[in-house]
Amino acid sequence: MRGSPRSPRARRAGIGTALNYALLFLLAFMTFFPLYNILVVSLTGPAKIAAATGLSVIPRDPSLATYLTLIQIPKVARGLVNSIYITVVGVFVNMSLTCLAAYALSRPRLPGKSYIMVFIIVTMIFEGGLIPDFLLMRDLHLLNKYASVILYKAVNAYYLIIMIRFFEEVPLSLIEAGKMDGVGELRTLFSIVLPVSKAGVATVSLFYCVFHWNEYFRAMIYLTNPDKWPLQVVLRELIVSGDKAAFIGALNYLKYDVGAAQVDMKALKAGVIVLAVLPILLLYPVLLRYFSKGVLSGAVKE
Amino acid sequence: MRQGSGGLGRDIGRAFPLYLMLLPALAYLALFCYVPMWGARLAFMDFSFTGNHAWAGLKHFRTLFSSPAFGAVIANTIIISAMKIFINFPMPIILAIMLAEIRSKKMIRIVQSVIYMPHFLSWVVISGIFLNLLSLEDGAVNRLIVFFGGKAFPFLTQGTSIRWVFVFSEMWRSIGWDSLLFVAAIIRIDPEVYEAALMDGAGTFRRIFAITIPAILPTIITVFTLNLGFFMNAGFDQVFNMMNDAVLSKVDILDTYVYRLGLQNGEFSYATAAGLFKGVIGLGLIFATHFGSKRLTGKGVW
Repeated sequence: MRGSPRSPRARRAGIGTALNYALLFLLAFMTFFPLYNILVVSLTGPAKIAAATGLSVIPRDPSLATYLTLIQIPKVARGLVNSIYITVVGVFVNMSLTCLAAYALSRPRLPGKSYIMVFIIVTMIFEGGLIPDFLLMRDLHLLNKYASVILYKAVNAYYLIIMIRFFEEVPLSLIEAGKMDGVGELRTLFSIVLPVSKAGVATVSLFYCVFHWNEYFRAMIYLTNPDKWPLQVVLRELIVSGDKAAFIGALNYLKYDVGAAQVDMKALKAGVIVLAVLPILLLYPVLLRYFSKGVLSGAVKE
Repeated sequence: MRQGSGGLGRDIGRAFPLYLMLLPALAYLALFCYVPMWGARLAFMDFSFTGNHAWAGLKHFRTLFSSPAFGAVIANTIIISAMKIFINFPMPIILAIMLAEIRSKKMIRIVQSVIYMPHFLSWVVISGIFLNLLSLEDGAVNRLIVFFGGKAFPFLTQGTSIRWVFVFSEMWRSIGWDSLLFVAAIIRIDPEVYEAALMDGAGTFRRIFAITIPAILPTIITVFTLNLGFFMNAGFDQVFNMMNDAVLSKVDILDTYVYRLGLQNGEFSYATAAGLFKGVIGLGLIFATHFGSKRLTGKGVW
């Protein structure tokens, strides 16, 4: 007879492994399905939307009616533009401040470095709180200006420290060679350190990018004019209020070609959720690669 | 001989461009982080729109501590936070151990890339997903309950069940991402130790309890103390986006209370006092856990 009889232990391990696989699959499925279902609902056509449920697996009467309606709703279109604007300008401000500071702090023997680090780390563990933040914005006349949201957490101490770690890895010889040629600090940063730390720049920019894209609370309280709201705030209003007429605007209610009146509220909500998730989904492979590196580099302390 | 002070002076002089590069970030932190910290003294004053706040001593704190609503808010904060820590904290550790048992690298990558996803979504989006998932008529969960002969349950409008919704939505969002640090810690374990255990005939569970868990214990303790330090947060975004009037008394936490009183009712001083109270407790917890963790593992929070 060929084959060796399997020991009871091996068989037990086999069952254990199968159970392990099954549980992990279940977890992955439970993570994936609610998201997938939202996409299905958003793609279900007006004729079948009433029958779409949380268990729908395929969009029946598939159509883009939801999205065609959404882009005609000024709030949604403006929300998208605002979100993109805040994210792009925000990340630019974040990276300018963070890279300049991180470069200075990554130089060996910067006099007073430990005091400066304490100054920065204190902002990680203590904050003034919501009301003092709000009153400061009011005093600076930044309320209802995009700048209030762009400047919120413009320097994140945690991300700054990650950036310093990346810059510290740039070989000193590269920098010293530049110094010999009389290259200034700013030029050293831009022509030597940044090109060598592409991974670090990508990691930290993506951190800031996701932060701005997902931010809603400060935008909601600082931006009093709904025309300036980013998509997340618009989505929140839609989810919380759930009132179609209020959301679309009573006056606009009947004038859409696709017939907003026929598009279900459920589908509209699902559509906005998809729009809010889309950029993250598109960037996901990149996010995954750099985020895990960033988190681990921040966690490994010397 | 003159190296000492003259050297330092020269170092500072040479570092002048570096200080200039640091200036924007430090000025930002001073204005947007330190000024609000100073602004928190409003808790001891009576707010006035003219800016001439009069000192009020501990008046607002006295009102705070004698208000029955505040007692309920503290209780809610502690209950929700405790539920989350005790139920959710072990999950990513178990998940990391389960993942480590899987041989196929490809399988691990697939599972990881799915379960990391929710970490990148905003709480507005996650709330939208959970409201959809738990909706009374169409939600997947209630559909399943009805399918198996049960009765649809209003998860979101019952005080006790919505607390569980907070626990599970938090778990849904972070179980994958939070396992990252533990997976990394398990990878660092010397494979020879496992091989030796295998030689000695140690079974799977024996291996996990005798090798894996002791090896990652420092990571577990560090992450746990870090979580304890943020105990008073209890997850503002979640509560803020999922709560409704029906459950307010059971889910109102410190941060939502500060928001409602301060920004909706305009009681700036009183809300600042509530916020400061939370900040001081939080700070105490962070320091306590920092020194506790230092004593236990030699590694602090910062």
